[in-house]
Amino acid sequence: MSNLTSGDGRNHIESKLMRESLQNRGVMQGTDGLKDRRILPDITLISIGGQSIFDRGKSAIVPLAEEIAKLHKAKKPMVLAVGGGTRVRHTASVALDLGLPTGGVAQLVGAMEELNAVLLNTLLAKHGSITMPRDHFWDIPLYLNSGILPIVISVPPYHFWEPPPTEGQMPMHGSDFGIFQQADVLGTSKIIYVKDVDGFYDKDPQKHDDATLHKTLTLKEINTNPPESYVLDKAVFDAWNAARNVKKIQIVNGLKAGQLTDALNGKDVGTIITKENS
Amino acid sequence: MNPTNLTDFGPSPISATGIDPQKYNPVALMPDVRVCKIGGQSVLDRGRAAVFPILDEIVAARKAGTQMLLLAGGGTRARHIYSIATELELPTGVLAHLGGYVTMQNARMLQMLLAKHGGVYILPEDFEKLPLYINMGCLPVMMGMPPFGYWEKKQENSRIPPNRTDAGVFLSAEFLGAKRAIYIKDEDGLYTDDPKKNPKAIHIPKITADELIEKDLPDVVVERVCLEYLKTSKWVKELQIVNGLKKGQVTAALNGEDVGTIITA
Repeated sequence: MSNLTSGDGRNHIESKLMRESLQNRGVMQGTDGLKDRRILPDITLISIGGQSIFDRGKSAIVPLAEEIAKLHKAKKPMVLAVGGGTRVRHTASVALDLGLPTGGVAQLVGAMEELNAVLLNTLLAKHGSITMPRDHFWDIPLYLNSGILPIVISVPPYHFWEPPPTEGQMPMHGSDFGIFQQADVLGTSKIIYVKDVDGFYDKDPQKHDDATLHKTLTLKEINTNPPESYVLDKAVFDAWNAARNVKKIQIVNGLKAGQLTDALNGKDVGTIITKENS
Repeated sequence: MNPTNLTDFGPSPISATGIDPQKYNPVALMPDVRVCKIGGQSVLDRGRAAVFPILDEIVAARKAGTQMLLLAGGGTRARHIYSIATELELPTGVLAHLGGYVTMQNARMLQMLLAKHGGVYILPEDFEKLPLYINMGCLPVMMGMPPFGYWEKKQENSRIPPNRTDAGVFLSAEFLGAKRAIYIKDEDGLYTDDPKKNPKAIHIPKITADELIEKDLPDVVVERVCLEYLKTSKWVKELQIVNGLKKGQVTAALNGEDVGTIITA
């Protein structure tokens, strides 16, 4: 039970943060803890690349959808998230040519992900999929307990309020980050990113024949030895440093049958990135 | 002078290889709108004694032709829910979502009081209708919290969402292409320490974001992320913090005068 209090001209509710400045370092530190509550710990978020999978068309999408349908039938609790791919890049290039602000670009791009969510849903609806508005995740238990497979878009709702980027004009909070953040706030410990390469290489494998695959990596290694090219947006790793719940990111090749299934079954395929002290 | 024709904003930066970031020619969307926050703990939680005189000044400025967007802060109810959510070890994204409701309430309170003068409550989803409200002479009022919600990321050493209503005001101004973001609080601006707790704190009328960051103060008057954003923002180059409890400061700020504290890029 909290009391109301005043006396300094302001009406307060008694609490540990009463009258405090939330910019004060000591006050802020006092709110921190070693862990965050895991709200829905048992689900796995699976991100399906826009450019890497959807833009390749039928030959990439259909086999992957069939694999997902089997996993869903096997009652794997999962949420699918889709990227937007080349249409996102096109949107941004026109928008920036027009001189629209970064927040304008951020507002526009989600629509191109919605298209991929609908595409995937046309293939999976008969197996029980549904497109889920991004902030309806309190419905996830309802869906999963009813055998429904939710499909979300990935980009976070920063919209017009996307912060000014530290370099360039593109929004910094893209799809890879959005799905990471959604996984972390829900308290899932694992995310699988489905791409068109076997995982995280020391350099871009589509440009360099001698690129070598990292089977395992730690967040610390990525921080201390930043790679030449990132298979996921760098914003993911920046956010992961302070995040509490996500302990493992696995990157698999969606063009190779069975890799996603193996990853969901806990097998070491693709690249596994772990956070230390987990 | 702000450009009047779109062609005044310069040529296309697009080339065969894509966008050349050096040639990006941004368009200021609504640069004449004053984007103005009414503090939660500092103003709204004081009730009528603080709120009414401020709204009188705002209404007078609007009648005199000043275009503005008002955003509401959170205050003690946000602190209360953050406090309980912290005990429950809830993630930062959940706190950000919860904090949004308090600023929504405050925006609605302001709208009710401003209704007869054209106050309209808008959601972030209504943001594109801003030109309609402005051109009708209305006073749009919105929650100050940016709509990041569950997607607000945790920062090191804190569970409190780093982007709260100060950031929401900054980012609204930046999107609209305004030069300044205005914060109505209950202090004359920035001090060397929290003036409510340390009577020896000294007022700082003007300072750059870099100088402020360098001072490494234990407390600052605006959310720290705003100082970071000032370094890379395209349009917002100044944050102005004014004392709404002192008659005339809000009017002066809405007229573009340098009162309170100005933090420059």
